[in-house]
Amino acid sequence: MTITAVETWVEAPLRKFVEEARTVLGLLLHPSGQVVAQFGFARAVDVMSACALAAAIHASSGELGKQLEGKAFRGLHHPGRDRQLYLAEAATSRGAFIFLTVFDQESSFGLVRMYFDTFCKDLAAAAPPMSHQPEVVLEDRFEHELNRNLAALFGRG
Amino acid sequence: MSASPFATILSTLTRQRGVRASLVVDESDGIVIESNLQIGQDGDRVAALAASLYRKARLSAGAARLGTATFMQLEAERGRICAAGHNDLVLVVVADPAANIGMIRVEMIKAAGALP
Repeated sequence: MTITAVETWVEAPLRKFVEEARTVLGLLLHPSGQVVAQFGFARAVDVMSACALAAAIHASSGELGKQLEGKAFRGLHHPGRDRQLYLAEAATSRGAFIFLTVFDQESSFGLVRMYFDTFCKDLAAAAPPMSHQPEVVLEDRFEHELNRNLAALFGRG
Repeated sequence: MSASPFATILSTLTRQRGVRASLVVDESDGIVIESNLQIGQDGDRVAALAASLYRKARLSAGAARLGTATFMQLEAERGRICAAGHNDLVLVVVADPAANIGMIRVEMIKAAGALP
């Protein structure tokens, strides 16, 4: 399984997760929708779509959770017939990331959830300290940043 | 309020000497449906791993044309994990190494047959 990452410190925790949880697709992104790392995707356009959808689902389910329970939902699990999807947030000192993974019958929701907890801890431990305030991605630069990250992941940088 | 259909099964298993935890787990999801745990036992972790093991053992038994898997036991240095399934449910027991596994096995197979 090839893992590509825009930020190198996420690679080791992600590789461990893939090996242990046996999932088929994975995507780590900023809540803004910018990709940070991926595995299992063959085309940049699929990553771009998945990032946009994951960020939107995370934002809307978070708001729904706040309205229902006063706090954002922790994770979202969608079981399909052959494949299942798990979307959840991982907190680090560099801010929160969204993690989307797809798995089939080689794994299970229980295993994915268990290894995701370990992944969150590993990611938090691997995150280098912030030397400055996180840079806000402005709307006019968003597309440029997104394309830069996709180029880095798919070797067209 | 009525007790869950699994409460009696789990409490019978947990009464066996050396049993640390008993759980009813969804085989395909590895999620706990009901559990009876001693302090310090991580039910979610045990459920996910035991269901995955049981599922693979069941599929292996089928692939090897050995018929239906009825009971699975994993012996480790500091304990044992036993599993017995019925339909999509798996009954899981975590026991001490010195537990009377024969007795536990009998109770588990009997209880698994009573699962819905």
